[in-house]
Amino acid sequence: MNIYVINGPNINLLGTREPEIYGSETLGDIEKKCIEQGLKDSHSVKFMQSNYEGEIVEWIQHAIKEKIDAIVINAAAYTHTSIAIHDALKSFSGFKIELHISNPHLRESFRHVSYISPVVDAVVAGLGPSGYSHVIQLLTELKKQYNEA
Amino acid sequence: MNNNKLLIINGPGLSDLSNFNDYGYEHLTLEKLQNKCLETCKSLGMELDFFQTDDQATLTKKIVEGITECDALIINPVGYSHESTFDLDAYASNIKSDTLKNKPVIEVHITNIFHDNEGISEPVIVSKSGVGFICGLGVHSYELAIRSIHEKLNHN
Repeated sequence: MNIYVINGPNINLLGTREPEIYGSETLGDIEKKCIEQGLKDSHSVKFMQSNYEGEIVEWIQHAIKEKIDAIVINAAAYTHTSIAIHDALKSFSGFKIELHISNPHLRESFRHVSYISPVVDAVVAGLGPSGYSHVIQLLTELKKQYNEA
Repeated sequence: MNNNKLLIINGPGLSDLSNFNDYGYEHLTLEKLQNKCLETCKSLGMELDFFQTDDQATLTKKIVEGITECDALIINPVGYSHESTFDLDAYASNIKSDTLKNKPVIEVHITNIFHDNEGISEPVIVSKSGVGFICGLGVHSYELAIRSIHEKLNHN
């Protein structure tokens, strides 16, 4: 199973940016855990981060082309603005999970609308930095159950 | 380890999960959901109080009473997320109440509740408290919530 974990703007600042909201773990720490979690069952997890909307769109298009099995996307602030990411995700037929470290619905009202939520299978928010590896674990288990069924 | 008792509350309509047949969750029953949750809790060494009610007053009462006995809460408020008749304030204030202080809370839904409204309009999420949120993973929404809570309880 090939999984893309796509991260949006400012997530590269994790660990230093508002640690009271996002925790003290860095994106590198999270990436390491996700890759290790995937490797337990020989799954490949590719971890990406960009501050540029177009680059994120291109990664999703690449996932479509390469027939990647699942995308976990934390589009960060682009969640609330990007119709381009919405459109790209719509064309991706694999499993899609929207992920947020904090729960956007508990924060400023401009974070209450997500253009991502309607085009993904599932939304996971507010579980903290460990939400990533929990989601990877679940995806690999679901894959296993699917293969056994 | 005493810090391991979890309360799961399921709101109205979840007594009959055949409503979810249309969403690709055929043959899902409350009993199956409960068993899955029990299984996950057992594997993590957690105790579970699994509760379902169709009645709003009972639901709010259970939040307040049940949580005093428990260390964490997972709640599926179902239609209450969208229903205007539901007393949002009562629900939100109970979730925020002191009894819940420092106790992890996660709101879960079986389906992706954002699919119906085309997402461009603002979803009405009631749990404006310090909670996590998981939807769209079927029974695994609960499984993920249990694991996350287990981790939180064992890190604090």
